[in-house]
Amino acid sequence: MSTPVTFKVNGITYRRDVAVGDTLLDVLRDGLALTGTKEGCGNGNCGTCTVLIDGAPVNACLVLAPEIAGADIVTIEGLSDGRTLHPIQQALVETGGTQCGFCTPGIVLSAKALLDANPAPSDHEIRQAIAGNLCRCTGYGKIVEAIAVAAERMRGGGA
Amino acid sequence: MSAEGATSLSVIGRRVPRVDARERVTGTAVYAADLALPGMVVARQLRSPHALAIIRSIDTTRARALPGVLAVLTAEDFPPLPTDATVPMGETGYDMWMVAELNMARGKVHWVGQPVAAVAAVDRETADAALALIAVDYEPLPSVVRIADAMKPGAPVLHDRVFTKGVEPRPQNPSNVCSRVVISRGETARALADAAATATISAEVDTAHQGYLEPQAMVAQVDANGFATVWTSTQGQFTTELMIARMLGLPQSKLKVVPLEVGGAFGGKIAIHGEAVAVKLAERCRRPVKLVFTREDVLQGGSGPAIGALFDITVGADRDGKVVAIEGTYVLDAGGLPGLSPSLLMQASAALYQTPNLKLTGSDVVTNKPRTEAYRAPGGIQAAFAFEQAMDALCQKLDLDPLEFRKRNASVTGSLMPIGTPFPSLGLTTILDRVGEHPCWRDPLSAGRLPRGRGLALGYWRGTSMTSAAHITVAGDGRPMVTMGPVDISGTRTTMAQVVAEEFGLSVDDVHVQTGDTKSVGYSDGAAGSRVARTTTAALVEAARDALGQLRRRAGEKLQSGIDDVSYAAGVFRTSRGGAISLAELMQATLTEGAIVGRGVSSKLPLGVEIGAHVADVEVDPETGQVTVLRYTAFQDVGLALNPTAVEGQMEGSVVQGLGWALTEGFDYADNGRLRNASLLDYRMPTALDVPRIDCVIVECPVPGVPYGVRGVGEVPIVPVAAALANAIARATGVRVTKMPMTPERVLAALEAARQ
Repeated sequence: MSTPVTFKVNGITYRRDVAVGDTLLDVLRDGLALTGTKEGCGNGNCGTCTVLIDGAPVNACLVLAPEIAGADIVTIEGLSDGRTLHPIQQALVETGGTQCGFCTPGIVLSAKALLDANPAPSDHEIRQAIAGNLCRCTGYGKIVEAIAVAAERMRGGGA
Repeated sequence: MSAEGATSLSVIGRRVPRVDARERVTGTAVYAADLALPGMVVARQLRSPHALAIIRSIDTTRARALPGVLAVLTAEDFPPLPTDATVPMGETGYDMWMVAELNMARGKVHWVGQPVAAVAAVDRETADAALALIAVDYEPLPSVVRIADAMKPGAPVLHDRVFTKGVEPRPQNPSNVCSRVVISRGETARALADAAATATISAEVDTAHQGYLEPQAMVAQVDANGFATVWTSTQGQFTTELMIARMLGLPQSKLKVVPLEVGGAFGGKIAIHGEAVAVKLAERCRRPVKLVFTREDVLQGGSGPAIGALFDITVGADRDGKVVAIEGTYVLDAGGLPGLSPSLLMQASAALYQTPNLKLTGSDVVTNKPRTEAYRAPGGIQAAFAFEQAMDALCQKLDLDPLEFRKRNASVTGSLMPIGTPFPSLGLTTILDRVGEHPCWRDPLSAGRLPRGRGLALGYWRGTSMTSAAHITVAGDGRPMVTMGPVDISGTRTTMAQVVAEEFGLSVDDVHVQTGDTKSVGYSDGAAGSRVARTTTAALVEAARDALGQLRRRAGEKLQSGIDDVSYAAGVFRTSRGGAISLAELMQATLTEGAIVGRGVSSKLPLGVEIGAHVADVEVDPETGQVTVLRYTAFQDVGLALNPTAVEGQMEGSVVQGLGWALTEGFDYADNGRLRNASLLDYRMPTALDVPRIDCVIVECPVPGVPYGVRGVGEVPIVPVAAALANAIARATGVRVTKMPMTPERVLAALEAARQ
């Protein structure tokens, strides 16, 4: 059984017939070939499929496709034009905050939601914001550092 | 260049950002599950619900008849493999009958989650529906889930073709003890009896998981000529190719394995877990086939977790605090098929202490749980958890400072390793001096509301070298293009770009590095044993010099000079008579004269043993058993840090993995062999809120005879973690916690047991 929904992803409006049992993650990866959003568990436990819906971070694997009607969704593909990286992405490159990279898209979006709401987060607030995103490679330190660096740059301090 | 020129390095040793970081932060890096090919169909595996059962029959008739199902496979579709048909990888290789069992059970299942059938269908829903229509007639047998039970007389014998290795004469009857290893010298029992002080620790470690975030994923395609291509997430494309070829009886010339980005592996992606099945399905349905594991597949028997173990360690010292004897029993839980030899982890645990008397006995035991696989210094953290606690308890009995005690007993270059041969170059005493000078050791522990303690533990890992091949071509614009055999799981493309940039006198941006598939680069072993950066550096130094030799000859012809008169530096060839041509100009001028291909292979590099010392400050809540890590500092001798950011990345990540296993990560098996915490909610890996910032101290004592003196890096930083925490907990509370993970329940139980 399918149902038609209209939604926006990275500024583009889509109208799609979606199966009622499909998730937003299925729509993004299989329907729109936006494979930057990763599936690590399918149960909302790992955060690799984090996207923004109306600015808030959510696990795409927990959102049923019919629920996205009218939603404004941002995925990792929507964060930079490919030439200039978003400050969070740039800082992750510089600090070594990405290793295997599988958690990275989700981390970037959780961090963006944080910095959009709180331009000067404390170390604890940064850790809180990415606590739903597991990373198995970095031990988190260089990710937290990157988000702090990005926050400073976005506030206009530093390069 | 190389080690002798270490003082004048311009690119090596710099904090160069990863050359592949942009793909990662933009989500454009391609992992196997991201691949989509025209006409591609979906594969799924049917898994055993029983821990031990005979498969009487499998009826796939109804599944085959379901519309949309394109192929169904069982073990009958694969040739049976003899015992001892091995493929190379590490010291012992992989026995193929066991690898086949990881992909498809034959006749009997040995753990919950072992695959028994597979289907390919037009979509996921149809594939899952087909699995439900496969009727497997099982005869369940009494299973054995705990190691101690598997070793009892009268325990069910799991495999009729497993006889205890390492026992003479060869046993007549099959056994659950797959191998036994004894390492012994001196008079250990007598020395312990005469020792001024002894300490004993009996410890138990639960099976845990590597926890890579990318589940196993693969795509297979077979063309009209029968040539198969497999894109997969693997630590070693050549090992994968050999395993698929053996399992299918396929010539290697008919098979290409393309390694894609690896979303974490840590030892768990060396053996194949479905690749051969995917190829067979693709061949049957003449369409590309994609097989992607769910997280439950990964955790509930579809992949190999890390070994659980039982240890009994007794150590003794004289009045001066010199170790006189070490005695250890190591029993490893291999899971459903024979596992690692216990030898390496036994040696590793005792390696850093000089002792005249030593007796270590190890056993590898099968149980009805998933067959275990490597996890970052396999067995290292488990054994150190017991061994370093025993040493710490001995210090306490002697009332000696734990650092001073280690200094008195530290192994040094040339002292005897546990197996009785002299140690290669070793920087342990340098590390211990650095610990003593560091604020993490010198600063007094600040008081808190709850009991606090500081723990020290050492770690050793031997690592390996094996084979790495690489070649360098030179692009028309003069830039080196590197194709290496080893898969990049730790930033290898970046460090190798640094090595080649150094050798060519260019910048990192001028070098392109890729990992080749099995038909485009020479045989290389997998990314394991902390071997890749070291051996690939050696291969690339050779390849770069080969390429530059060929280029100098060409430059000589262009500049009308003999090759001996042509020198090269920083992208320019010069002659003594003032002639000069840049690398780019030379390539443009000689483009039609054939390729420049510099080749290099490293297959016998000296070992670059890894050593670390970790210091942890913890706080223990005696009401809840909760342990909080306040401060953590890791010291490590890396020989030479090719890229300090990459080295720290390995150290910090390792430590946090170790903290997870130390405190929360353990597989919880029911008596029927079913894993009760087969999700990332219940199998609790550390989040950013659970861990402190890890401080890293890099020590550089180069390895002689190795280009740039590089040591292994990636494995040893997990080894001391659980022991450092346990020693800190003991200092905080006076109680030894000997079950790992040291969950709040277990800490509380240990505290309560001590109160009674």
